[in-house]
Amino acid sequence: MDILVSSLFAGLLIGMVLALVALGLTIIFGVMDIVNFAHGEFLMIGMYTGLLTAQATGVDPLFTLPVAGAVGFALGIICYYGFIKFVMRGPMVAQLLGTFGLMLFLRNLALLIFGSEDRSLHHGVLVGKSFELGMGIIIPATKLAAAGLSVAAFVAVWLLMNRTKVGKALTATALNPQGARYMGIPTERMNALAWGIGGGSATIAGALIVNFWSVNPFVGLLFTMIAFAIVALGGFGSVPGAFFAGLVVGLITEIPGFWDFMSYTFEFEWMMDVPMTSFKYMWVYVAYFVIMVFRPRGLFGWKQ
Amino acid sequence: MTLLEVQHLTKNFGGLTANDDISFHMEKGELVGLIGPNGAGKTTLFNCISGLHAVTSGRIVFDGEDITPLKAHEVARRGLARTFQVYVAAGDLTVEENVMVGCFMKTASRSRARAHADQILRELNIRDLSDYMVSELPVAAQKRVTMATAIGSDPKLLLLDEVAAGLNPNEVEAIMASIRHVHDEMGITVMLIEHVMELVMKVTHRVIVLDYGRKIAEGDPESISTNPQVIKAYLGERYVKEQRSSAG
Amino acid sequence: METIKNALDFSDFPRLDLTVAGAVALCLIIFPLFPLSSFAMSTMIQFLMFALYGMGWNTIGGYGGQVDLGKAQYVGIGAYTTAVMLIRWDIPFWVSMPIGVCFAVTWSFIIGYPLFRLKGHYFAIATIATSLVLKDIFEVWEFVGAARGLEISPIKYHPPDFLRLIFREDIYYFYFILGFFFLGILYINWFRKSRLGYQLRSIKDNEDMARSLGINVHWAKIKTYAIATGFVSVVGSFHACYIKNIEPEDTMSLDISILIALMAMLGGAGSLWGPIIGAGILIPLKSYLKEWLGAQAGLVGIDLILYALIIMLISAYEPRGVWGIIEKIRRRKRA
Repeated sequence: MDILVSSLFAGLLIGMVLALVALGLTIIFGVMDIVNFAHGEFLMIGMYTGLLTAQATGVDPLFTLPVAGAVGFALGIICYYGFIKFVMRGPMVAQLLGTFGLMLFLRNLALLIFGSEDRSLHHGVLVGKSFELGMGIIIPATKLAAAGLSVAAFVAVWLLMNRTKVGKALTATALNPQGARYMGIPTERMNALAWGIGGGSATIAGALIVNFWSVNPFVGLLFTMIAFAIVALGGFGSVPGAFFAGLVVGLITEIPGFWDFMSYTFEFEWMMDVPMTSFKYMWVYVAYFVIMVFRPRGLFGWKQ
Repeated sequence: MTLLEVQHLTKNFGGLTANDDISFHMEKGELVGLIGPNGAGKTTLFNCISGLHAVTSGRIVFDGEDITPLKAHEVARRGLARTFQVYVAAGDLTVEENVMVGCFMKTASRSRARAHADQILRELNIRDLSDYMVSELPVAAQKRVTMATAIGSDPKLLLLDEVAAGLNPNEVEAIMASIRHVHDEMGITVMLIEHVMELVMKVTHRVIVLDYGRKIAEGDPESISTNPQVIKAYLGERYVKEQRSSAG
Repeated sequence: METIKNALDFSDFPRLDLTVAGAVALCLIIFPLFPLSSFAMSTMIQFLMFALYGMGWNTIGGYGGQVDLGKAQYVGIGAYTTAVMLIRWDIPFWVSMPIGVCFAVTWSFIIGYPLFRLKGHYFAIATIATSLVLKDIFEVWEFVGAARGLEISPIKYHPPDFLRLIFREDIYYFYFILGFFFLGILYINWFRKSRLGYQLRSIKDNEDMARSLGINVHWAKIKTYAIATGFVSVVGSFHACYIKNIEPEDTMSLDISILIALMAMLGGAGSLWGPIIGAGILIPLKSYLKEWLGAQAGLVGIDLILYALIIMLISAYEPRGVWGIIEKIRRRKRA
């Protein structure tokens, strides 16, 4: 029983963080109809930013979030003006390939600068601490904080999108770029802003994740694929969809836990033999495939 | 002999009814015009007949066979070809290759497809365009190419969607000649959507009028041009009232 | 008869192209006569392999416009079929290669049917997903060596072994892959002029239009996907015999899928010469950059950074690749 409950908790907590990871992707897609393959690389950069800032200044990693956010925002805007703007003129193939090139570039730049070894944080008020909820359920403090702050960041971006003038201009650009341009909205700047917000939310998520996840230059792809699955499930371009889909995908990553629960509870020998933890992320890919094929509008809606 | 029969065709998009209980039939060898104001549901009707849209209710019988449940490519293989109002050539096919794609429906041999395509291009007087990319051509020429491509599949019935829209009077004249040639010489039954009234009045035998998804009138071109309901649909209720009050 | 004629008929290319192609072909044939390092030789074999991968990708990705980023799974299927059969049952290459193609094509039908309900970005991402799923499975599947992979040890055989394709000198591998390369060109030359080839280009143009011309769009894509798969699987089988050491991380990684797509796109997707040009530029660049910058200067990753910059430049300025540039110049001259 405790395996089940703790898997559930772990899944929901990581799901909240993953929702933040996917948020940037869905905003960029919603505004510009472009899929950013480099999204996970933004997150990886956020992880390194958080880690290095914390190590260099000695502050708690949780206080590095503003730095990570600023770096991601700037990076997003630089990428837009320096590269994406030009790719957008070409066909879809060029956009796919272009963001792919961006992904390779950022990944290998990180490899060149930081080397390929895994790095992780060893200090900070929360690292190593945990809460016990009874029934043997232990929740690491880092994950709890990451989940809470992710939700806060998510809500902040949601408010920005829905309650401010800039956010409304962004939404208008998403719905009808040409119409928005006629209304005097600087769509070019809106696109850049979408990339800024997209990059910033990804790097903040990265700085949160690095508290409990070691970083190397290759972590990005996994998060890109997870973000794709979440965005597909939540509906491409839907912000609230991304949140709930994030929780669902978080639970999917805990399938090995549920599997263990089933095999121990019912004592299925064959279930114990399957190395389910090796398939931890495979289910995310399977989920993407199944969702796209059988429910292409996502579970929660679709960009109108 | 009836070639196409549409019975009580209705097409809903969500809450919007684009085609509402439309019935008509076409005889073999006819040349029928389909007109109506923008948004009347003409292109939707073509999409339903050619199988690109599934109909909400109703039946479409083509050449004695119920084609309502068939997919677009199956409908096409039974001899029903069409052109598109907005044609976006994204690829890299030349005019000749484009027409060959149509011809490949009936043959797998490249040489036969090419010979057939050449013949069609010659008959439509666009042989000199064969080596151009379709995307390089001006709109008028593109429309004739799409017509030629549709003819390449050797259809019994050809649906033309606004082939004359946006053309200058000379080009309209040329495309009119092409349509007549297709109908008279090649023996293909034709139905055309058109906003250029001159063309509809001059070439068609019979005209069907749609408004807000319904069929509001049907008849020969002359009677349609004086039909008050049709005038109302095109020019609006107020215009008709003003006319009436100024006359009375 | 017409099939063979079409495959051998290159007459729709300008004479200049054919002269260049003939000269390149001749150079390839006499290539081993030059006094060369074994490094140059292996780069050349890599070039031919990736040109073939690219040609296969080009059918569905170039002529059909469906950006497939999951070709590595078929490299894996081909390579593993050949390696497993050789190691476990001593089944020679010429038997295992067609079996591998059968496996790959069957798998391509199974996933192709749902895959092609998707379009554009969604399709591309889904191909990545399927490829990663298969890789994950191979990484834990003990029968095929799990994450350690498989190793064909040449000591057990007596090279040169033409049945099992086990050789000590690269020159044998070179001529085998060169043979496949020429066959591949002939096949693509036939394909682009076949009914399916034309239909596919029409689908890329406008799908609704293609449908109304009697083309079963879904089925045409699946068929072409299977053709592309066959190409990739054959080279995958060759890969097993040539490299002799296969792991999921090497043969089935996303990087391989991307590289395959990149060959064709850099050279010019949807043209016969595109993938060859692309492979001709990228493969030597990649291996020499890695040799000079990566290994000698100790700058890990710099080769791939340059690589990424090329991809980014191409996608921003000439998405139709090198061949697109050539055609643009030609059209300007003609006008």
